[in-house]
Amino acid sequence: MTDQLLIDTAERLFGDVCDFAAVEAAEAEGFATDAWSAVAEMGLPWIGVDEAAGGAGGDLVDALAVLRVAGAHAVPLPLAETGVLAGWLLASAELTVPDGAVTVAPGDPADDLTLTDGLVSGTVNRVPWGSAVNDLVILVDDGDSATVVLVDTASATLEPYVNLAGESRDTLVFDRVEPLASGPAGDGVDADALLYRGALTRVMLMAGALDAMSRLTVSYTHEREQFGRPVARFQAVQSHLVTCAQEAAIAGVTADAVMRRLAHDEARFEIAAAKVVVSEAATKATAAAHQAHGAMGLTKEYELHHLSRRLWAWRNEYGGARYWSQVLGEAVVDVGGDGLYPLITGGSAALG
Amino acid sequence: MRFEATELTDAELALQAEVRAFCDVELVPGTYEPGLGMAGSVDPGFSRKLAERGWLGMALPTEYGGGDRTAVDRFVVVEELLRRGAPVGYHWIADRQTGPVISRFGTDEQKERFLPAICRGEVGFSIGMSEPDAGSDLAAVSARAVRADGGWVLNGTKIWTTNAHHNDWMVTLCRTSDTDDRHGGLSQLLVDLRAEGVEVNPIPFLDGSSEFNEVVLSDVFVPDELLLGAEGEGWAQNTSELAFERGGPDRWLSTYIVVEQFLRECEEEDLDGSVVELLGSATARWFGLRNMSLAVARMIDAGDAPAVESALVKEMGTRFEQDVLAALERLVGLEVAPGSESLFERLLAAAVLTGPAFTIRGGTIEILRSVAAKGLRP
Repeated sequence: MTDQLLIDTAERLFGDVCDFAAVEAAEAEGFATDAWSAVAEMGLPWIGVDEAAGGAGGDLVDALAVLRVAGAHAVPLPLAETGVLAGWLLASAELTVPDGAVTVAPGDPADDLTLTDGLVSGTVNRVPWGSAVNDLVILVDDGDSATVVLVDTASATLEPYVNLAGESRDTLVFDRVEPLASGPAGDGVDADALLYRGALTRVMLMAGALDAMSRLTVSYTHEREQFGRPVARFQAVQSHLVTCAQEAAIAGVTADAVMRRLAHDEARFEIAAAKVVVSEAATKATAAAHQAHGAMGLTKEYELHHLSRRLWAWRNEYGGARYWSQVLGEAVVDVGGDGLYPLITGGSAALG
Repeated sequence: MRFEATELTDAELALQAEVRAFCDVELVPGTYEPGLGMAGSVDPGFSRKLAERGWLGMALPTEYGGGDRTAVDRFVVVEELLRRGAPVGYHWIADRQTGPVISRFGTDEQKERFLPAICRGEVGFSIGMSEPDAGSDLAAVSARAVRADGGWVLNGTKIWTTNAHHNDWMVTLCRTSDTDDRHGGLSQLLVDLRAEGVEVNPIPFLDGSSEFNEVVLSDVFVPDELLLGAEGEGWAQNTSELAFERGGPDRWLSTYIVVEQFLRECEEEDLDGSVVELLGSATARWFGLRNMSLAVARMIDAGDAPAVESALVKEMGTRFEQDVLAALERLVGLEVAPGSESLFERLLAAAVLTGPAFTIRGGTIEILRSVAAKGLRP
């Protein structure tokens, strides 16, 4: 499916530039400048972006595979934002993708941004690395038409916030600001499509993080001894390891299913189902991983929190388990009793 | 441990369509009483109809009447039957478990004698593993077979033996010699349930049903040719048998039909936000579990032995069967009447009353966690 060489390259690179100290420093300083330079030099943020718009070749599935590896390493960079989200929006509007990191306004329900007479006014919330990245892409969708707008974050008033993982999620307020560029969004690109695509990025990051967290928990409990033996030998602790492994497995397999479907078609059912599964998995697996680690897992000096805090944050970005359950539940009600099992087996293909 | 999502091939999708068309004709709602997954009722006639289409013994060799097909093909057929609560009770154990075990360990003579009959849906098997003092700790079995002229004389008591009163044969784990290793000295015998000295006593279940039995074996003569596999290898054979038991759709579909039937019978005003949310979250989980379970079937077809993966799926699948039921029961809030005219209510009643079995039968969740944990090493 995906180029194994690409995955191995990403694995090595993230392992080198996003070690424990780098992730800690990124949180303290607001951005991992050196890590970004190294990752950008390899072209990883622009995989899957149309080459005509300034992309780096490869397809969406390749980009998603890289995001999974990034999630496993708790990479504190706007990787999902720059290519899979901003690159996609800009390319759809036939705009050129800037050279550096680009971020995206996720489309928070409280946003009230408008585009009037070519000028941008209003507020966008929860912007990843809004305080550290210059280029911000906003999709202005008034319900009738959608416009892709590229603005300079320096032209906004900024209120800094972070998510539970300490990753910046800022509020930016614009007052009659002239965009750097703008254009009508391409076919099928609207607020709803952005929500699905954003959820897709979180599914991949979380599937990677859940897998890494399961492996970390297995290795810690085999090293840590109490009562004269590794704690992994105790059945009560084993049951936490099993929970972590199960949730990582179901998250991984649903992420795989999304990627397989996306390789040839739209995957709305699969994305919605995967976001429910990984968000619920995040809740169950972080609880089990922390319990298995005991007090050590709660310290700043040990790496579990790089994964667990991200999972807690990401599970509700671009819609949480409840939101996506409702979306799926409405689809179930539409297809009724006769259609339910064909929906489970056929996914988006069954929705036509 | 790695589960990899897989898609059905065009040929597998064609098989799925064929099974769906068959079920649409043979399992018309209202013409049969659906069961909860593998607890579907016993109907030898239905089993034979499946056999006529080549849907029993699918993965068994063609020379013995099987289909020489894949584990995924069997998965595709079985999930369609289970989700409709089809009457699979007569052939279920023989098709899932005994057929593959005889195929793997049996003599040519045993294969000729039993496999074609299994593939034709003409023979039902029970599993004689548990005993009053040997449940999860199966190595503690005390049923004992002693050498006799031309065979063995078997004494002991088996328990929780599903459908022994309907079935013809029981694969019986028993002690044939004493060794220091408690896993040694065990063998599997094919016991004719109608032989002299076999007494089948029903153990009524808490819902009033009586599929469970105690089987008392008093000086039962078992001829040499009915020793399955090698003497003293019973433990290893039995362990491999358990891999066939676990990881399939029967471990996450038991309560599916309750939800589907709710959807059929409910009024629009029943579908409030909480119910819609439950329908969605359950659907997401079924989707995920199905992908895991299908991945296990593909591993089997690739020649792997996914014992750990199967245990992992079964443990979480059976808990989910209970969780979705508990959530639906809470939202519906019915004073459930087992004899109701509503099929949904009858299914809900059956599921509530038998639900605790899901995480016990075929290995308790506690045992499964131990099995799965063995595969979780740094």
